[in-house]
Order: sequence, then structure tokens, then C-alpha cells
Amino acid sequence: MNDVTELAMLQNYLLIGALLFAIGMLGFIVRRNMIVVFLCAEMMLQGVALSLVGWSRYFDDWGGQMLVLFIITVAACEAAIALALILMLARQTGNLDLADWQDLREEGSPPYVDHLIPEQREPPAVWPRLTPAGKVPEVDEEALLHRDRV
Amino acid sequence: MPESLLLQIPRLLGAADSAGTPFRVDARLLGWALLTGVLALIMLLPASSRGWRASGCVIGLLSLGFLLSGVLAPIVPMSEQIVFWIVAAVTIIAAVAAIATPRPVYTALWFALSLLGTAALMFMQGAQFLGVATVVVYAGAIVVMFLFVVMLAQPEGNDAYDRITWGWYTKPVSAILGAVLVSLLAFTLGAMNQTTFQRPSAGATDVLHPAHMARFGGELFGKHLLSIELAGTLLLVALVAAIAIMIHGRDPVIAPLEGPDNE
Amino acid sequence: MHDFISILIVLVPALPLAAAALVAVLGPFVFRAWSHWLVVAAIGLSFLGSLVLLNDVCRRPDDRPARVVKLWNWTLVDGGAPASAQGDVGNAETAGTRAPFQIDVSLRSDALTSIMLTMVTLVSFLVAVYSIGYMHEDRGYWRFFSYIGLFVFSMTSLVSVSNFLLLFVFWEAVGVCSYLLIGFWYEKPSAAAAGMKAFLVNRVGDFGFMLGVFLIWITYGTLNFHDVVNDGGTVIAGVLGATRISAGAYVGGGVGLAICLLLLLGACGKSAQFPLHVWLPDAMEGPTPVSALIHAATMVTAGIYMITRCTPLYMASPDGQLAVAAIGGFTALLAGLIALTQFDLKRVLAYSTISQLGYMFLGLGTGTLAGISAGMFHLFTHAFFKALLFLGAGSVMHAMGNVIDMRRFGGLRRRMPHTYWTFLVGCLALSGIAPLSGFWSKDAIVASVHSKVHDLQHELSMRDSSGAYGPRTAAAGATAPAAVHPRPPRSKRQLERAANAYQWLYYMAMFTAFLTALYTFRALFMTFFGAEEIPAEAGDHAHESPRSMVVPLVVLAVFAAGVGLVLDLSYLNGTHPFAALLAKTPSLTGAVAATETLGTFHARVAAISMLIASAGVLAASYLYLGAPREVAALQEWMDFQPLLRWTDGDTIMRLGRQPWARAIRQTADRLWLGWLVNLVGLLLAVVLLVVSAPLLLGRLISPYRLSYHKFFFDEVYNAVIVGPLRAGATLCSVIDDWLIDGLVNLAGRVPLMFGSLLRSMQTGLVQFYALAMVLGGIVLLLAVDQHLSGLISQWLHHLLAFTTGVVNG
Repeated sequence: MNDVTELAMLQNYLLIGALLFAIGMLGFIVRRNMIVVFLCAEMMLQGVALSLVGWSRYFDDWGGQMLVLFIITVAACEAAIALALILMLARQTGNLDLADWQDLREEGSPPYVDHLIPEQREPPAVWPRLTPAGKVPEVDEEALLHRDRV
Repeated sequence: MPESLLLQIPRLLGAADSAGTPFRVDARLLGWALLTGVLALIMLLPASSRGWRASGCVIGLLSLGFLLSGVLAPIVPMSEQIVFWIVAAVTIIAAVAAIATPRPVYTALWFALSLLGTAALMFMQGAQFLGVATVVVYAGAIVVMFLFVVMLAQPEGNDAYDRITWGWYTKPVSAILGAVLVSLLAFTLGAMNQTTFQRPSAGATDVLHPAHMARFGGELFGKHLLSIELAGTLLLVALVAAIAIMIHGRDPVIAPLEGPDNE
Repeated sequence: MHDFISILIVLVPALPLAAAALVAVLGPFVFRAWSHWLVVAAIGLSFLGSLVLLNDVCRRPDDRPARVVKLWNWTLVDGGAPASAQGDVGNAETAGTRAPFQIDVSLRSDALTSIMLTMVTLVSFLVAVYSIGYMHEDRGYWRFFSYIGLFVFSMTSLVSVSNFLLLFVFWEAVGVCSYLLIGFWYEKPSAAAAGMKAFLVNRVGDFGFMLGVFLIWITYGTLNFHDVVNDGGTVIAGVLGATRISAGAYVGGGVGLAICLLLLLGACGKSAQFPLHVWLPDAMEGPTPVSALIHAATMVTAGIYMITRCTPLYMASPDGQLAVAAIGGFTALLAGLIALTQFDLKRVLAYSTISQLGYMFLGLGTGTLAGISAGMFHLFTHAFFKALLFLGAGSVMHAMGNVIDMRRFGGLRRRMPHTYWTFLVGCLALSGIAPLSGFWSKDAIVASVHSKVHDLQHELSMRDSSGAYGPRTAAAGATAPAAVHPRPPRSKRQLERAANAYQWLYYMAMFTAFLTALYTFRALFMTFFGAEEIPAEAGDHAHESPRSMVVPLVVLAVFAAGVGLVLDLSYLNGTHPFAALLAKTPSLTGAVAATETLGTFHARVAAISMLIASAGVLAASYLYLGAPREVAALQEWMDFQPLLRWTDGDTIMRLGRQPWARAIRQTADRLWLGWLVNLVGLLLAVVLLVVSAPLLLGRLISPYRLSYHKFFFDEVYNAVIVGPLRAGATLCSVIDDWLIDGLVNLAGRVPLMFGSLLRSMQTGLVQFYALAMVLGGIVLLLAVDQHLSGLISQWLHHLLAFTTGVVNG
């Protein structure tokens, strides 16, 4: 490949990496679920990894790829510990809301409280079907176990 | 606002078209892409109603179109270009979906898809080991671990706090900041001069060698031996730490961690 | 040259200073009740030293009348002399370069200085000895003696320095000592206030003095009294030096008058003359020895010393001399009138001091050598008898348990014989009864005023006849003067005015002599005669004072009685040793020396003043010896009471009921003219009531009331000066409290507000912190990236242009 193509490829990969990073950052800041926040952190790391691989290829330097390997390693460690902590936190409050943990704020200033919570669409109700008298209703095991949302 | 200023913004957000720079980024198109992207993200992110989300998708696709057509640089073999476009589109769409969906399980799944896209991109760059490592370690282990925890703590999903964000200014401000970040990068790249991107002499293109794994291994255990050992130790420490946290937190007699109820 | 005399010149002021410093440091813990030894010994040694200096001055040849000792150079600024000095004797500038501004600390010894030194140290010594008994067991015993030592140092230095600036320094120093000593019992608010008043009123005078010194500097180019020979061999003529006096190079006209008046203002402040006399009566809050020393004998004489020293300056401005005499005469009369009605013994003596100082100013203001030496002689004798009177009053006060209101005690002459006899001697001296010292000095002053009038009238007649100046013949029985010195020319009208003024001053002086005798003997009779009355506060104190207090009284009495006879031998052989010695002073050579011979005894004037003084004594004895009926009647008349009674409505009614009035009405009724009588009576009543209306106002300012309330000087000053100043101070305090403090507090609130603003950023939400981090990082990147920041500024320009375009339409 000639230099121009290499350059073009580098440019593209860098741009994609930047976009991944930006989207990850956006998610980290906006979402309130602790799991989602950490997943977005991982997304940011991915963006960086992509950029590193691009640089490594362009400049013929193994260092970039080595760093990506270590990024993956450290990300794994970090995820393990983070999830343990998240579980502990969730045990305290019963949910995964990050906005429950506001005790670091300045003494005397009021905490953030939710005001407007958007409506949730009611799941379609599963009405039981009445059986004629004397008949044993069929129990749909799957329907019982069905969960509309995961 | 008059038209002239509106048209100025994209130009100013994009890189300067100064001769001599190796990077060519169409400033206007980058500007439009970012603008529409910001709008789309604001509309897609939680605390939006269905209608907003739908139009957000449309605008987001528009933004993606801008990106692919104008911003990304053309690569000579057309087939390569199309493949790249598809993989890039998948990655970006998956990433956006990951942060937009109100259900954490779906977030993890979308994220896994994004990881696959990233792995494909790494394959295309000749970093095969890393691509495989991404899929196996990242998508296969880490994301799965996340999924386990989600199912432990919040199997239903779609709780109140998933559908809302804190503060009224969060979404616009962070979206704009993200756009600024990307345009910063584009700017800086465009402003760098020729000598920064001088490639080393085409002698030993080590990285693209066919015996990629051997070279990778040799580099890793040759130059970065200490780092490998340390990384291994780090993994061990993380393991111990995770277990310790669990044990410590499980037994209420020992000491409950600090929470909102006790100081 | 460090010979014996120059060492003495330095030691005489330095010994009391050393004693004061040592007592101040070691007094509280080491000396305590023995603090007096060091100071008394130092003052005694100073006295002996000043006697030696006096002796040396008497022995000096006529061409070297003064001895100047330069101690060190205080400041030297090259080329600092004023560019054009009007009184230039030709030496202020040397060959185009300007003379330097040079102040040397130099002390002098000449006739005037040594006379003053002797008097000051002697009286100080006697007062210090007296204070041993008076201030016994006072809490601030050591402090008192330290202040006394400091004061003696300041006063002796004041009369010894040879430079106007240094004179001003010690002028202030005696003011400070006066303040410290008046407010000695500082826990008493009235004493502290009196000290402040003295200092502040003095300050007004000092302001005038300062301006006078500045003017002298500008006019004459130097501030030294003596001539200075600088390294180049040229002579910088001192203001009062031999060169300038012999050349007569003094500036007259407006500048000269201004200098004289400004110096006079300073002297008025220090010597308590009108209008700055208000501090002296209040200064009686201090211990009585302080009053005796400072406010009778020494500090208040500083003004007179200064004017005597500056005689050549005053000779250049006859109007200035007239001003001095007028102020002096007026103040003498004013103080005499006030002293008539005061009940506080010390206050009577204070007003008496003011009055006698006025006499001294009157003498100085005649501008003749006789007058000036009379003024200085009166200063000398007055020191003794006034100090005697004050110490006697202190003795009475000590015995009466600090009660000094004459109405509360009486008839003490049997209980306190020593005090009585010495006080009597002092009273006789003060009233000017021959042959005590006061007679000689006061008579000399009055005679000099009389001679001055004659001189002026003679000159007028010469002008009339020949139209030019001519030699004058001296007053009765003297030889012709040695030489006629040119005096500033005056128009006929000016001479007439001056003659008139001095004539009035002569009459005022005579009347004041009557008043002096009257109030002095009034005080004596009220205190020592009549029924014996001891106030309750006396307790078991009411006995004669201890020896340490009586001995100085006796010594002073001897001096008060004898000094006149010894130093003024004009009755004997026409010489006046005191005046002859004084005439040796450099300042008193020159223009003033040609005015009249000394030593003439004016028999007529002496007889008149003796008569007047005796009349005063007789009047006092008539009024105050025996029943107070006459005094009460006089007081009533002076207070317009009878007049008011006559013009009262009741009186008119009673008048109408008199038999003769009724008879008139009856006859008028028979003649059918009753209505006429009624009308006439009504008209008379109306007229009387209308006429008596001003009397009501007059009641407020009746002579008695005016005299008793000190002519309302304090009240007027309070309303005109102190009141507005207090209001201004309150305004400033309000501004300070509300505006300035408010601004400062506001400035203090700004960080608080800022902080509370920043504190709200600590939300506790992790994601907010993350957002802030991202924001900060981006700002950092933007700032660092030059290309970007240039583009951003370009964009901001565009935005600005756009907004202005929108605004302008």
C-alpha cells in the first residue's frame, strides 16, 4: 500500500476511534445505571485501543499493540473489582442507581431529587382465559414463565 | 440567526484546509455530521418519548451518512472501502444503541456487537491477535461478567433511573462536549505538518509480517517481559480483591460499607 | 573649645535631663520615695552652674557679649538656602552658589540667657524642695520628679539655644511637660481635659510661631541667632547676630509686621494672653507646685523671653510693637476684671498671672530699652512673688484637705502663721507696694509707657514744627541719648494713632493696678481673716505645713521683698544693675539702645501708682474685712439687681399706692383730670417696662456675671470651635463605621459569596464530576492548541460583528 492509502486508513481509524470514545463518554455521563456506566467506560477504552492499533500500523511500531494488550488486561481487572463493588453498593440500596450515592456533596446543600419520570408503557396485560365450567384450565408453562422485559 | 453564521459554524468546527497538511477533512461535512449527530444523540438518549426516539434514529442515520460519505477518507480499492464502511457503520450504530437503550441487558448485548465491530477493524489493520483477544477476553469474558451481575441485581431493567438522567443540562452539554472533542481531534490532525507523519523507511515492516503471532510474541516477551509479569500479578491481585470485597460485604456483622443511611 | 564655661553651658540643661531619665527608669522600683534626691540635686547643681555663667557674663568685655557653643550639626543641605532673601546682608549667597541649609545644635550664654537660667533654676529648685513635702505619699511620686527634671531641662534649653528651629523644638518640649504635669493625676477626668486644653490651645500659638519661623527663613536666609563663619571664610549673618544688628538690615513693612504678629501669636499661646488665655485657669487642676513653677514663673515666661530675644525684629516694625503692647494691656485689664469675682484661690492667682504677663507684654511693646528691661525685670520679680503666692496657696490647700474654695475656709492666720506672713509679703509685692520688688518693676513698666507717650508726642510736635525727624530729649532728669539711630519712617497719622493708643494703655495699666491690689487683698482677707472656718475635709490636717514646705516659702519671701531694692538702684544713684546687665545682650544693642537712658526714677509716676495701689488695698479692706454687707451690696449692684427691682411690675404698683400718689390722684379727680393722671401713669409704666426690657438681657451680661463667667470665653470657643470640630468628628466616625467599614465588610463578603457559588459545584454526583473533568480537559486543549485558539477568536469576532449588525439594524 502506498503512503496515501496508509494515511487515509490511519485517518479513518482515528476518526472511528474518536467517535467511539466520544459516544462512550456521553454514555458515561448521561446514564444512571451503574452497569451501563461501566460498560461505557469500557467503550471508551475500546476507542483508545482502536486508535493505538492505527498508530502502531502506520509507524511500524509494536508498542501500540502491546499497549492495547495491557489495556485489555487492566480492563479485565478493573471490571472484576468494579463489579464486586457495584454488587456491594446495590446490596445497600437495593437498586443500581448512581444518583443514590450523593454523600460527597457540600454540607448543607440540597441533594438531587428526581422530578419528572417518564411514563412507562404498561406491558400488555395477560388476561387469563376463563374456562367453561367443569373443565380444568390448560396451564401454559411457557406463558407463566414468560417475561416481557429483560 | 442569519445564514452566514450558521454556515460558519461547520467550517470553524472542521479542520483548516491548509495546503501541505496530509490530512484532508471536509470541514463543512464534518460540521454537518457533528451537528446532526449531536441532535440525534440528544433525541435518542433516555428520558425521551417514542416519537423523539424515532426521529432521532432518522437524524442519526443522516449523520452517519454524512460521516461515511464526506468525512472518512477514501481508500483506493473500492471493495476495501465498502467493507470498511459497513464495519464502521455497525460499530457506531451498536455503540449508540448501547447507550440509548433503557435496559441494561440490551446495553451489554449491543456493546458486545460493538466489540465485534472493533475486532473486525483490528483484523483489517493486521492486528489479528488483538482482534481475537478483543472477542475472546472482552466480549467473551468481561461482557459476560457484566451480564451476570445485571441479572443478579436488576433482571427486569427499565427502572425509573434507566429512563431518566440527572440534571436538565446533562444531555445537551455532554453531547456538545463530545462533538467538540471529535472536532478537536480533527482540527489537530489537520493542523499537523508534514514531517510528523513521516513513515519509517520501508525496510522491515514488522507489523504487517505474515508471521504476525511469532513476532507479536517475540516483541511481547522480549521487550515487555516485565510488563507481562506485572500484568499477571495485577490479575492475581484483582482476583483476590474481588473475593475479599465480596466476603467483607457479605457478612453484616463485620462492617457494612458506607451507604446513604449511615455516615 | 572645651573650656570650663562651654562645659557648664552644656551641663546646666543636661544635668536635669540625666536626673529625669534616671528617675524615670529606676524610680518605680529602686528609688521610690527617695526619687527626689537626684532631681533636686541636679537642679541645685544647675543653679550653681548658672550662677557661674552669670558671673562670667558680667565679666565679659563689651565687644564679646555672647558665647556660643556648637554641639553638633543636625542637618546640612547644600544649596538649601532660599534664593532671594530680602534681609540679605550680602552674605547669604557666595559667588553664585547658594548657601547651605544648616541647623547646628548650639547653645549660647549671654546676659539674657544667664538671667533667665538663674531665675528658672532657682525657682525650680525651691519648688522641687517644696514638692518633697507636698507630694509626699502620692502614688506617682517618682513620676512627678521625673517630669520636673524633664521640664527644667526643656526650659533651660529653651533659653540657651541659639537657633529658631531649636527654640521651637524646646517650645514644644515645655508644652509637652506642661501637659504631662497638668494631667499628672490623669485618672481625674477634669485634669486630663485640662491638660488637653492647654496643649491644644498652645498648639494654636505654635502654629503661628511656626509660620513666623518659616517667614524668617524666607526673609533672612538663616535661622541662627548668631553669626556663623563657614569654611570659605564668609560670614553667614545670623538673624540676631552682631553683623545684622550693626548694619540694621531688618525688613520692615508688611513682611516685618507679619513676622512680628506671627511670633506674637506664638507668645500669646505660651504666655496665655488674649485670645489664647483660656488654658491657664484650667491648668490649676495640676498639683500646686506645678502651677507655681510652670504657670507662674517659668513656662509662661517663655513668650516674653522670645519677644525680648527678637527685639531687633520688632524694632523694624513699630506697628508690631504696638500690637504687643495692646494685647498685653488688654489682657491685663481683662484678667484683672475676671479675678475680682472668682472664689477659687488658685484661679484668682492664675488670672493674676495672666494679668501680670500682660503687664510684661505692655512693657515690651513700648519698644524702648527702658520698657524692655522693665518688662524683663517684672518677669524676674514676678517669678518670685507669684511662685511664693502659689506655694502659699498650696500650703493652705494642703492644710484644708484639698479644698481651695475661699468661701469654705477663713481666718487661718492664727493657725498657719508662717504661711500667712509669707503670703502677705507676696500680696504686697504683687500689688506694687513700695519697697517690695513688685513696686519697682511694675512702676518701671508704667513709667516706660508714660515715657513712650511723651516720646511720640514730642516727635509729633517736631514734625509739626520742622517737618523732619529730629533728636528727642529724654524724659525728666536724664542725659541726652548717645546717637540717633534711623527708625522706619511713619506718617503723622500713624504717630497720632500710636500716641493715642499708648495713652489709653497707660490709663488701662493704672486701672489694672488698682484692680490687682483689690483682688489680691480680697483673696488675702477672705483666706486669712475673719472668723475661723475649717472645712470638713481637713480632718486633722489643719495645721501649719512641714518644714520642707515652709522653708522655700520663706526663701521666696525674702527674694520677693528684697530683689527690687537690690537690683534697681535708681532711687539711690541712678543705676539699674539688672537693666545694665540686660543691656549687654546682643539683641538689645543696636536700634533699641539709643532709646532713652536707663536708671531714671520717675517720681511722679511712682507716686501715682503707689496711691492707686494703696487705694486698692483700702477698698479691699473696707469690703472684705468685717461683715460682708458691702460686698453683697456691691455684687447686687454689679448684677443689676437693684435696677431690676426698680423696674419690676410690683414696684410700680407699690408706687401707685403711696400716699402722695394717692393725693395727686384725689386732687386730679376733683379737677376732673383723673383720666389725665391715669394716662400719665400708664405711659410712665409703659416707658419704664420698655426701658427695663434690655435690662433682662443685661442681667445675663451684667458686669458681675461677665466677670464671674470669665467673659464667656470658654463658652464662645466651645460653640464656635469645639462644637463644629466635634460634629465633624462625629460625622467622620459615622462615615468610618458605616461607609468604610461597610465597604470593607462588603469586600469581605465577596469571597464568601464566591465561595458559596463554588460550593454549589460539589453536588456529590460522580457523573457531574466527570462532566467537569471533561470540560476542563477540553478547555485546556483549546487553550494549548494555538491554531484552534486563533480560529476561535476569529469566530468570536464574527459573532461580535453579527450582534452589532443586528443591533444597528
